Amino acid sequence: MNSGECRQFDKALARGQEAVAALEIHTASCGDCRERLRVWKEISQAAPALKKEWESPDLFSRIARALAAAPPHGAQAPALPRRRATWIPAAAAAALFVLSMIGLSVFKPGESGREPISNLRVSREPLMTEQTLNEVESAEAKYLQSIEKLSRVARPRLESPGTALLAAYKEKLELLDSAIAETRDQIQQNRFNTHLRRELLAMYQEKQRTLQDLMKEAKS
Amino acid sequence: MQIGRPPEDRSRISFLAKEGNLPDSDRPGGPRDDEALLEECRAGNLSAFEHLYEMHGARMKSIAANLLGNLADAEDAVQDCFLKVYRGAASFRGASRLSTWIYRVLVNSCYDMLRKRRRYPLEARSEGETLASGREAVTPASDHPLRLSLEACVKDLEPRRRAAFLLFEVEGFTHREVGDILGVPEGTSKTLLFEARRELQRRLWKRGVVPRVGA
Repeated sequence: MNSGECRQFDKALARGQEAVAALEIHTASCGDCRERLRVWKEISQAAPALKKEWESPDLFSRIARALAAAPPHGAQAPALPRRRATWIPAAAAAALFVLSMIGLSVFKPGESGREPISNLRVSREPLMTEQTLNEVESAEAKYLQSIEKLSRVARPRLESPGTALLAAYKEKLELLDSAIAETRDQIQQNRFNTHLRRELLAMYQEKQRTLQDLMKEAKS
Repeated sequence: MQIGRPPEDRSRISFLAKEGNLPDSDRPGGPRDDEALLEECRAGNLSAFEHLYEMHGARMKSIAANLLGNLADAEDAVQDCFLKVYRGAASFRGASRLSTWIYRVLVNSCYDMLRKRRRYPLEARSEGETLASGREAVTPASDHPLRLSLEACVKDLEPRRRAAFLLFEVEGFTHREVGDILGVPEGTSKTLLFEARRELQRRLWKRGVVPRVGA
């Protein structure tokens, strides 16, 4: 039965939550609505995975400092000591300095025979050396090969996902592939960017885990 | 351990906060009820705030991270919330439980930040958003294959529906608590959640993750 043949679930959705709850009886005899109700419930089952957890060892001390600096009740409060505020004066000073230097270069081009600013070369000492980069890229290529091997094994399962769960895995892998491609493009613009390489590694690891989960699911 | 007292007292506050040298009776998890905690908050007792942080901090961070889309802003929102609780404790009349009031303040702080910064659509990221120190949010042990798609869809929900969904389905509040937090009747909380789930199912269908359902 497809959505064109049974509109019970659609009607229940339009009527409200009680109507959806009452669908249980109908689903005993309608496989299509049973599947739709299962997916409806699956959203609730997946929701707890959206919970975020991370360590914040200095957060309470920040709060304590803010509370200690707060005036008594009713008085005007000072601005919060936010983490971003600390670099703003330094950044403003640096920007001012750079603008001053540019101004000097532009408005006094021939005074001391200096080169035009467009010819100036900024020293770009990379954080990674060429040799380290080659090692990283070589390790990355090997890791990628092993994931590709796993992808080839999983491909038949992904081409025709038989269940909603496998379809969800497929969706997740597509999202990961898209993010990986985007990050790789960014890396091509600056091959020495270690932060992007770490991000890329995390994505590869997530892809590997997802492929392994998918294979387990397909076997069970 | 009073907050907002003359500077000579503040050094002691910093010391206590830093070293965790709180009396046993003030330790988080001790036998404190809302009334007593509120009184201590009104009096500016730092240990009361530490108790609240120990009890609710993790959940507050999670809610803020999901509403704001990144971890650093979430920490700012929690900090802002505690400051507002301190300032507002004197005028809190106890119409709801202290804990739900705190979450209400937090959700409003998040909305304020969204309005003020107006950068959520550009900066919203789900997993992998790192703090300046390089720390990352961890995925719960019970991960679900729908998580990434669901997370992307939740971000696009209308704010009140998103808040209702996050509070009820993700954080496990009851509809009564969600109603108190969002400042709406319990029935409205149920309606918001229903609308959120219907919208999510529709969006998930558009992504081809789940079978299609009607309006």
